[in-house]
Amino acid sequence: MADSDNDSGGAHNSGKGGKVLPRELDRFLPIANVSRIMKKALLANAKILKYAKETVQECVSEFISFIIDEASDKCQREKRKVINGDDLLWAMTTLGFEDYVEPLKGYL
Amino acid sequence: MVMADEEENGVSIQLEFPKGRVKKIMALDKDVKRVSSEALFLVSRSTELFLQFLAEKSAQVAIEKKRKTVNLEHIRVAVKRHQPTRDFLLDELPPPSQAAKPDKPTQPAGRPKLDPAPRGTRCIDQFFRKPEPENTAQAPGQPPENPAQAQSPENPDQDQAQSPVPVDES
Repeated sequence: MADSDNDSGGAHNSGKGGKVLPRELDRFLPIANVSRIMKKALLANAKILKYAKETVQECVSEFISFIIDEASDKCQREKRKVINGDDLLWAMTTLGFEDYVEPLKGYL
Repeated sequence: MVMADEEENGVSIQLEFPKGRVKKIMALDKDVKRVSSEALFLVSRSTELFLQFLAEKSAQVAIEKKRKTVNLEHIRVAVKRHQPTRDFLLDELPPPSQAAKPDKPTQPAGRPKLDPAPRGTRCIDQFFRKPEPENTAQAPGQPPENPAQAQSPENPDQDQAQSPVPVDES
C-alpha cells in the first residue's frame, strides 16, 4: 500500500494567535483530495459549491466512523482486539453497502 | 490506535487519501484500539467509492434540476434516495435553511436596491449638482451615449445629457 501520508488540505495550520479553527481539525479528510475525486465523478463542465464540498468532506468522515463503529462492535462481541478486513466487509454488507464488497475483495 | 499489521502484504495501490488522516478519523471512536493495515486500506478504498457515489448521484440531481453547479440541496436529495446513506447521513446534513447559504454577502439593509431608470431619463441627483465640464464622464445611472448619433451633423444642438430614443432597426 503506497503511503501517501502527506496531510494536504491545511489541517495543521492554526489561525491567528494559535487558535485552531473548527474546520482545521483532523476529523476531516483533506478538501483537495475530496475535490479531486468529486471532479472525476462530475461532468466536465459541472461545478460544485465550496459549501457543498465542505459538507461532502464531513459526510465521508461520517461514513468512516459509521463503518468502523459497526466493525468494532463485531470485534467486541467476538472478544477480538484487532479489526481486520473481513470485519469491515461484513460491516459494509450489514449496513447496506454490499455493492462495495465485490470491488474491495479484489484488493485482498 | 495501533496498527496491528504494518507490513504491505504485496499490495501497491495508490490511495487517494492520506493513511495518517484516515487513521485519525478511525481513532476518534474510543472503542477502536487496533486496526490491521488491510482494514485501513479497505476503509480508505470504500471511502473513495462512497465519495464517487455521492458525487455522481448529486450531479444527477443537479442535471435533473437543470443546474450545472451542485449545491447542498442536490446532495440532500441524493442522500434521501439511497436508503443506507439516508440512515446515517440525513441527520448529519445542515438543515434546509442553511442549504441556501449565499457565497457572496447580501446587500446591506441601509439602502434598498432600486430598479434602473428608464432610458432617456436622468437621476434626480443631477438637478442638485454643480454643472460639470462637458468633457467629463456621464452622470451615474445614465446609459452610455451613442457616439455616432451624438456627432450627427443634422442635430448639432442635440442635448448631450439625454440619450437618444432607441431605434428599432428590425
